[in-house]
Amino acid sequence: MLRLMQSAALSAGLLAGVAFGALAGPYDAHKGKTLVVNFPAHPHYNAVMKVLPEFTKETGIKVEVDQLEYLKMREKQTLELTKAKGDYDLISYVVFSKADYVFADQLENLARFFMNPLLADPAYDAADIIPGYMQNIGVAGGEKGYLPGPTGSLFGIPFGAETSILGYRKDIFDKHKLKVPETYDEMLDLACRIPKLEPGMGGLASRAASGQHAAHAYLLHLAPLGGRVFDSQWNPIINNEAGIKAAQALKTIVDCGPEGAKTFGFAEAGAAFLQGKTAMFLDSTVFAGQVDDPTKSKIAGKVGWAMHPKGVRHGSQTGGFGIAIPKNAKNKDAAFLLMQWLTSKKADKLVALQGGNPIRFSTHADGDVNARFPYMKTFGEALKHADPDWRPIIPAWGKINADLGTTMSKVLTENLDIKQAMDGLASRTKAVMKEAGYDTFKP
Amino acid sequence: MTIANTSRLTPYLFLAPSLTVLGLALLYPVGYMVYASFLNWNPSQHIGQAEWVGLRNYLFLINDPSFRESLFVTLKFAAAVVSIEMILGVGLALLLDRQLRGMTLLRTLFILPMMIAPIVVGLMWRYLYHPTVGPLNRSLSALGMETVPWLSDSGWALVSIVIADIWQWTPFIFILALAALQSLPKSVMEAARIDGATGWQQIWHIKLPLMLPVLIVTCLLRLIDAFKVLEVVLVLTNGGPGLSTEILSLRIARTASEFRELGKAAAMSNLLLLGLMVLTAAMFAYSKWMETRAARLRKAAEADAA
Repeated sequence: MLRLMQSAALSAGLLAGVAFGALAGPYDAHKGKTLVVNFPAHPHYNAVMKVLPEFTKETGIKVEVDQLEYLKMREKQTLELTKAKGDYDLISYVVFSKADYVFADQLENLARFFMNPLLADPAYDAADIIPGYMQNIGVAGGEKGYLPGPTGSLFGIPFGAETSILGYRKDIFDKHKLKVPETYDEMLDLACRIPKLEPGMGGLASRAASGQHAAHAYLLHLAPLGGRVFDSQWNPIINNEAGIKAAQALKTIVDCGPEGAKTFGFAEAGAAFLQGKTAMFLDSTVFAGQVDDPTKSKIAGKVGWAMHPKGVRHGSQTGGFGIAIPKNAKNKDAAFLLMQWLTSKKADKLVALQGGNPIRFSTHADGDVNARFPYMKTFGEALKHADPDWRPIIPAWGKINADLGTTMSKVLTENLDIKQAMDGLASRTKAVMKEAGYDTFKP
Repeated sequence: MTIANTSRLTPYLFLAPSLTVLGLALLYPVGYMVYASFLNWNPSQHIGQAEWVGLRNYLFLINDPSFRESLFVTLKFAAAVVSIEMILGVGLALLLDRQLRGMTLLRTLFILPMMIAPIVVGLMWRYLYHPTVGPLNRSLSALGMETVPWLSDSGWALVSIVIADIWQWTPFIFILALAALQSLPKSVMEAARIDGATGWQQIWHIKLPLMLPVLIVTCLLRLIDAFKVLEVVLVLTNGGPGLSTEILSLRIARTASEFRELGKAAAMSNLLLLGLMVLTAAMFAYSKWMETRAARLRKAAEADAA
């Protein structure tokens, strides 16, 4: 009897608490808590750091940030997530970590937070978040395991996401009356025509260095040209017609690029464009922030932006970072509140105004944001075509990606026959996939 | 227990603490690595969750063309840098083993490259090798010569990292060789001079043979280092173009962090360790053989004299 009374009193108390909480605002129950979060050292997150004090002011929840170089961050997280009790309440992860973390069951499924009326803000408007980003970075468990679909669910929210965009020199294009390329044929033609029109200037700056850079540059062209790495049965099809065309496109771009293009990483390709050594740049939107900064750029005010050209389809990349709550986090509810706040319309705009990469359509169309960064509107348009499946996100990808990067580098520097190179890559990929168990269900 | 027995045990008793520390600090990690090399271990797992695969990692490596290529690159790199550095380092030491004004300053200058952090060396050479703004290519084109694709050609890239390594590590051999030279017994040199040995004869028949034990150890140290070099290559080429400069330690690092295959990375490290151990043993066996031979010759000479 006593026990019954006790539990009744407890339930009443809880109810009262809930009612009080509801009246007092969603953040009161967590006031005074300190969240420990792990963010990368990245322009977007540097902008976030300037906005975070606003969160603490509004909610009373303190945030302690551990900011690390992104590969170091990934290494540290890998260890951190295997611990029984982790140090981080919220982590930012690189998109390709999604496969590893979700597969190892280390991230909270966000459904239970979005179902909780004490945590989920009805005005959040998730439909405003760019679907390509959400599907690529946040969702897992649907089509092919890493995409959305009837069986998928949400594990993270894009934050610091990016897509590919074409930057071009307005002055050079005007001078020679060139049309901004809308298709791959036009872009490749211009890439090799510009060095003839402007001696000493390369056509398009692309990454090409052996490894990750060459692989990334190749994949950038694969999706728009109609290719994929695997078919729906996990057979490598990277050596089909589209796959070969993408390699040819990259080779053309690098051959007609500025001097030394074969060893360019992302930074060098960007620097070549900023130094005025190329007329075009096709890569991540993260880069845009520096272009009009006269301390870093010799081409401030001379650059226009356009959509990633179309091959047989539009297929700009999607990538960058998302934020998620580790399974071993201590303050999951408060972490969710922070996550929701950071990706809300209000914070997305605040971060964008500080130079971050917005994830919402509304922010891309926002008047204040466009007044500061006029290219945002074009980016918003381009993002309607962002392709969440431009690159597979599976645990075995790291190895295949490295092989792709090496093979591409050989094509670019050793003039390896493209068909032969891609056939070799496909057969090695097949072996990697077999070892990883992807042919288990094959008859 | 007799007193004799106890006193026989005493040394071991005193050795015990250091042996324990050694065992913990040295054998435990190595044992861990050997154990890990038999696992299919992903960094997102605890070691306990990893699947036991026996020798599969080793079998995979033996059949893996990329591993073989990287082993071959490592051997080429190590052979090139160590032999060139030995010749240059010992040569420099022979040249500078004299009393010149400003010698101390000169020696300090010579060993400067060795003191620079490898990442910085990589960055510096990356700039030097830059295709357009790099001083090397700029000087070449100013002289009217064709520029060199230092890092973007698979043939040149290995040469470029060899040059950078030679620049950094020749001083190491130089200071050790110089120290060895200066500790040679003066009487032998004097005797040789009195007997009318020329400079070359002194070097070939006296200095080099007497320096040999030091040189062998130096060579060994450099060889071990050359097999493990990572940072400079990482910054300069990251293994490229293609796999042309992907030395073993870089492949191990990539296997662990990029491919997330800790088991295979451990297996590769073990193979590298085994290779280095064989090398070390061979070197020591050789120097032991040289010593016994020298002792035998000396004895024979003494017997002849008597």
